[in-house]
Amino acid sequence: MAEIIIDGITYEFEGQHKLLQFILDQGKEVPFFCYHPSMSAPANCRQCMVKVGQYVKDRETGAYQLDDQGNREVRWFPKLQTSCTLDMTDGMVVHTQETDTLVQRAQKDTLEFILINHPLDCPICDQAGECPLQIQTYKYGPEGSRFEVKKVHKPKRIELGPRVILDAERCINCTRCVRFTDEISKTNQLTITRRGDKNYPITAPGEVFDDPYSMNTVDICPVGALTAADFRFKARVWEMNQTPGLDITNGKGVNVDLWTRDNLVLRITPRFNPDVNDHWMADQGRDVYRLYNENRVSRPSIRLEDTKGSMDDGVAQVKTSWTNALDTLAEVLHENKASTILTIGSPYASVEENYALQKFSSLKGLPSPFFTPHILEGSGDGFLLTDDQAPNTEGCRLLGLEEIDTEEYKKRIKGASVVLMLNDDPIGRDILKASDFKKPFVVVFATNHTDTAKAADLLIPTTCAAEHTASYVNVEGRIQRTFPAKETRYTNRRLDLEMSEGRLDRYGTTFDNWVTEENRIDCKPTWVSLSELSQRLGIPFSFEHARELVAELSSQHPAFEGISFEKMDEERGILLRRAELTT
Amino acid sequence: MEYSFSKDDLAKIDEIKSRYPEVMPATLPVLWLAQDKFGHVNEEVQKLVAETLDLPVSHVHGVAEFYTQYYKKEMGKFVLDVCTCLSCHIGGGYDILKHLEKTLGIKAGGTTNDGLFSLQEVECLGACGYAPMMQINNDVFVNHLTPEKTDQVVEGLRKGKYPEFESIAMPLNPNTSASKETV
Ligand code: SF4
Ligand code: FES
Repeated sequence: MAEIIIDGITYEFEGQHKLLQFILDQGKEVPFFCYHPSMSAPANCRQCMVKVGQYVKDRETGAYQLDDQGNREVRWFPKLQTSCTLDMTDGMVVHTQETDTLVQRAQKDTLEFILINHPLDCPICDQAGECPLQIQTYKYGPEGSRFEVKKVHKPKRIELGPRVILDAERCINCTRCVRFTDEISKTNQLTITRRGDKNYPITAPGEVFDDPYSMNTVDICPVGALTAADFRFKARVWEMNQTPGLDITNGKGVNVDLWTRDNLVLRITPRFNPDVNDHWMADQGRDVYRLYNENRVSRPSIRLEDTKGSMDDGVAQVKTSWTNALDTLAEVLHENKASTILTIGSPYASVEENYALQKFSSLKGLPSPFFTPHILEGSGDGFLLTDDQAPNTEGCRLLGLEEIDTEEYKKRIKGASVVLMLNDDPIGRDILKASDFKKPFVVVFATNHTDTAKAADLLIPTTCAAEHTASYVNVEGRIQRTFPAKETRYTNRRLDLEMSEGRLDRYGTTFDNWVTEENRIDCKPTWVSLSELSQRLGIPFSFEHARELVAELSSQHPAFEGISFEKMDEERGILLRRAELTT
Repeated sequence: MEYSFSKDDLAKIDEIKSRYPEVMPATLPVLWLAQDKFGHVNEEVQKLVAETLDLPVSHVHGVAEFYTQYYKKEMGKFVLDVCTCLSCHIGGGYDILKHLEKTLGIKAGGTTNDGLFSLQEVECLGACGYAPMMQINNDVFVNHLTPEKTDQVVEGLRKGKYPEFESIAMPLNPNTSASKETV
């Protein structure tokens, strides 16, 4: 097998490798800016320099030539090489900054050049704390600057598009953003203008950077030149928690990170998953942080008798206690004939929630739940946007929920006495009108005050994808799970080992001015509410954690055989029923 | 103003395209063709070029903006490109630029009211050995500039006379006379 010697350590390798990526894959480091594993490598930042050579062999005997000390002699390439573009060959000898002062010097001098016109405004820059330029300058850069003349000034606060703002002075012209629009999103909306110390990225004149994937450029910009219009100046990175989650705005199941502070989701960024979304996500999925924070259903509400079938909440719905809400629900279920009670699953709810409802209705002897998918033909783009608008349509199907069309859906509602509905918005989706809720008693397990929630008779607040551990099956049949990022009234970061704790959480108490109790929503996972309801109804249904539901599914449901959260974590999601789904 | 390519132009562009395996490299020669025709390649012309070549406008824009030789707006009859890059800077390029700004009454990047002269500050034109220098209309190099020589050139241009081509020998041997004087 081919060998390469990096900093004195021999590594074996097969096939074609670029040196930088190989070094990174070994868990070692060489500083770099312009290289990105998913895009072409133009080698324009010159930061990834290393010294490369080959052992000298005697041509005749094939023996290594030795120097006076008996060490193998190396024939070095005449100049340092950019490791990002260098193809590895057998017998290559590499010195990185860890073992070679020349390499150290080169990297330091490159950084000094890069920093010459950089404003060094880290104290007010959003990127500070997660900035490759800042980090690598600390590690490999010069102590200070020798540049004493006026810096070149360039445009600041340019709105490249509705979601991305450019500060050209901070730009180091790595061209990552330009290559992103050329190679990944393929809109070709960006280019580099001018030249030398005056250049910076920009759109063609009169064009707006409205690429549906535009905000990925903010993520990959190695400095604070590109910032997100709605996140700039909101929070410092080190104040936030980063929790793995899933994009719930369509069926792709894009892996994301939810960034929270004081139990508010402040931004959403893509999380690498080579099988789903690589390093990317659509802008649309980043906007749901509002959904997680705003307009939430907190504490149960109940409708006043005389306002049935209308949508004016606030007046018509009054807050009530969990006890009263669940007592009322138990009563309603008790009083009405089981066959006239509808249970409706939802592609917007997780596998666990749908399964809980399914199990609950079967134990209570109610008709089994059905659902209607939310497909908008033509909204998919073959990349990360799908026609399917919901995150778990496939999960509902795999659970065996009856799939019906919207006409049938409407019809069934009309004939029902009670409707028990998981988080979904049939009114907002234009399937139903508020007046359709005139007759039946409608109970919604809701996360937000949607149109449907506003028209309901009883609102049971339920945890959203940012608050619970639950799994979702994407359009390809891949089951993946979320972690709780936001605390509810009933969860606690210090006790829940699945939650991450930022420093503000760690040192904050309820009495600190950076802790806002209201940000913790008064809601519970659907399966917990259903368990409490079951207790009242005398049904043997009791689940505290999604883990228990998954364990049951895994052992009892053929489609979910062998699944577990650990397996989902390790394998970056599990592909269910692959054969049937791909045909 | 409406910009468009004639049938002849399009035929020429096709010929240019046929010289390269891909379309992208045709950007430079087609921008030249456009500049020869329209006198400049402003934003609308850049767009026309992009559409004609079926390339992203951003790409054509980036290329046009990179080179000072492409005029991004309407220019005067004579465009004076004064080099202020390293060698010319040391040799007094900025003095020449300032001198021209004064005599023409415009700033670098501007055009005189009579539409006769445009003045640009440009990067290295590859004539470091004869610094300071300037180029006129992307064509004639005027080397070893002094304020007096610059005045003469401007006066000449006003009368429609381009400066003569100066042949400069390489100073291979510092003792030969050719290295000291222009031929
Ligand atoms: S804006 Fe950022 S990503 Fe784009 S070229 Fe500049 S430094 Fe690179
Ligand atoms: S990462 Fe290699 S040159 Fe930029």
